[in-house]
Amino acid sequence: MKGVVFVELISMAEDLAGEDAVDKVLEGCDLPSGGVFTTVGNYPCSELMTLVQAFSTSLDTPAGELQNRFGRWMFARFAQGYPAFFKDKNDAFSMLESIENEVHVEVRKLYPEAELPTFETRRMGDGALEMIYSSERPLMDFCQGMIEACTEHFGTPAAIERREHRKDDKYVAGFEIRLAA
Amino acid sequence: MTLIESETRVSRQRYQRAVLAKKQAEELLDAKSRELWEVNQKLIGQADTLEQQVRERTADLTKAKLAAEAANHIKSVFLASMSHEIRTPLNGVLGMAEVLLDSGLNAEQRNMAVTIVDSGQILLAVLNDILDLSKIEAGQLEIEERPFDLAELIRTTCELYKAKAHEKGIALTLTLAPAASCWIASDPVRLRQVLGNMISNAIKFTNEGEVEIIAELRKHTDKHNDLILSVRDTGMGIPKSKLSKLFQPFVQVDASVARKFGGTGLGLSISRQICRMLGGDMTVSSRLNAGSVFTATARVGHAVAADRPAPADQPAGTDIIAARRWRILLAEDNKTNQLVFSKYLQGFDLDITVVENGQAACDAFARGQFDIVFMDVNMPVMDGITATQKIRGIEAAANRPRTPVMALTANTMVHEIEGYLEKGVDRHLGKPIKKATLLAALADGLAMLTEDRGDATPVMSRTAGDG
Repeated sequence: MKGVVFVELISMAEDLAGEDAVDKVLEGCDLPSGGVFTTVGNYPCSELMTLVQAFSTSLDTPAGELQNRFGRWMFARFAQGYPAFFKDKNDAFSMLESIENEVHVEVRKLYPEAELPTFETRRMGDGALEMIYSSERPLMDFCQGMIEACTEHFGTPAAIERREHRKDDKYVAGFEIRLAA
Repeated sequence: MTLIESETRVSRQRYQRAVLAKKQAEELLDAKSRELWEVNQKLIGQADTLEQQVRERTADLTKAKLAAEAANHIKSVFLASMSHEIRTPLNGVLGMAEVLLDSGLNAEQRNMAVTIVDSGQILLAVLNDILDLSKIEAGQLEIEERPFDLAELIRTTCELYKAKAHEKGIALTLTLAPAASCWIASDPVRLRQVLGNMISNAIKFTNEGEVEIIAELRKHTDKHNDLILSVRDTGMGIPKSKLSKLFQPFVQVDASVARKFGGTGLGLSISRQICRMLGGDMTVSSRLNAGSVFTATARVGHAVAADRPAPADQPAGTDIIAARRWRILLAEDNKTNQLVFSKYLQGFDLDITVVENGQAACDAFARGQFDIVFMDVNMPVMDGITATQKIRGIEAAANRPRTPVMALTANTMVHEIEGYLEKGVDRHLGKPIKKATLLAALADGLAMLTEDRGDATPVMSRTAGDG
């Protein structure tokens, strides 16, 4: 997993709980990386799961909720750091639809080794979109956080219904996103 | 640790992590840089290889192109020389056979000599067909445009086939539309070839009935007319399945046709190509056992009738040849051709000087007096055209009257003949020369001479038909 995810997770945790608390968590987890992360490096996904669990305990926040907050955090950083992707997008659905075929294409140019999840999308009539997340990592809550942040970014909050299942060793989640009328 | 300190100072571990992260990032970036550099080197190498391959391929192609051009040139040269090499001995064969016919033969011997002449003429026709097709394929067939009497051309062409039709018991009729009785501007030699080919085919494949030639001229624009020449026969006809292949070179209706009727299978292909070069086309409609209609069209120009009929239209009588002991200079390097020339003229009392090259012709001309010069074009030492130019120089220097110079050659390309006429040649005779053609040309030249002698500015620049 790309180092940027770890760096951002630590950033968020510091924002929520302060550096000392984060230092404590990092020292308490016996991570192979020693808690040393750089944005350009790659680290095992298991360390991310360990960190999420540890921050969850330390912050007294359920892991799912922490993931969701992290998803929102990442979306905000994404919107701030890469405005080019938002330039010709007028609504949340076209932004979400562009992840698979625009955003991930650019990511692969910089990081050919990146293991990216897939996001299938399908319009379901007016104001509804189905988005199917499929990944080797169980980051469905993170995903939902991002989707929520996206709909809010465009000023169109939505009701999201999620169904999960496993398929060929993969975590699959179907998100049915309905914009509030 | 005070509150202030804890806000301004970071823990040792945090500092260590930051240092390690920086080092890790630098190492990763170094590795990435090196990877990029290597990939870049590889790309540069590939680009070099590709450029090298392109250069090699280009060089190969250039070489192949040059080789193909050279081969094509060699083929052209070969065809031109073959034309000369085959026509020259054929000239000997045909010439001697014609002379033989005049030498008091008995009936059986005469028959044999006639066969030699006929076979030689067929061989010449085949050779001409092959050369024509080669020229068409090489884009070298030249079309000229000059004014001539259309009706006259059609009549004389039909006339040539009267005997053959009569022999087979077929009627040969000509229907000339009133509009077609005029002068036009086109290529008379090629039109004659096309019409002759159509008539000859029609007679060949018709056993009873008739062959009808229909000539029409229709207005196309103010400047051009459409000439339509149709030849209708009552012959065996052509099966529908074979019609489309009829105009392909080397194709005859079927193999049995070649056995039974002979021919190269080139005539129609050449005729159609000629028609297309003349701005028209050749088409056919046919019904099996009911006959065929071949139609040739050409876009022709308007022309006004010439004041003076072309020489071919009014063959000069040969009386003039016997009128005096004319002094003739022949420059010809080929012994057989020299002999043919002399034999053709053996019935007349003439003073014939024979030399073997252009230089010798100039020397003889400078020393002696000649009434007419016959000049081969391809000769060793000095070619006939250079010699003709020198002769014109000798005349000018000595203020001598212009002597007719008749060029003899197997090169019958239109642009070459025009070049000869510009360089001082008065007429051109294509080899092999028939006796009648030589006598007509000689008579014509001598007639020019008597017309023009005493004229202050003699201008004699005429072209002659090939027959």
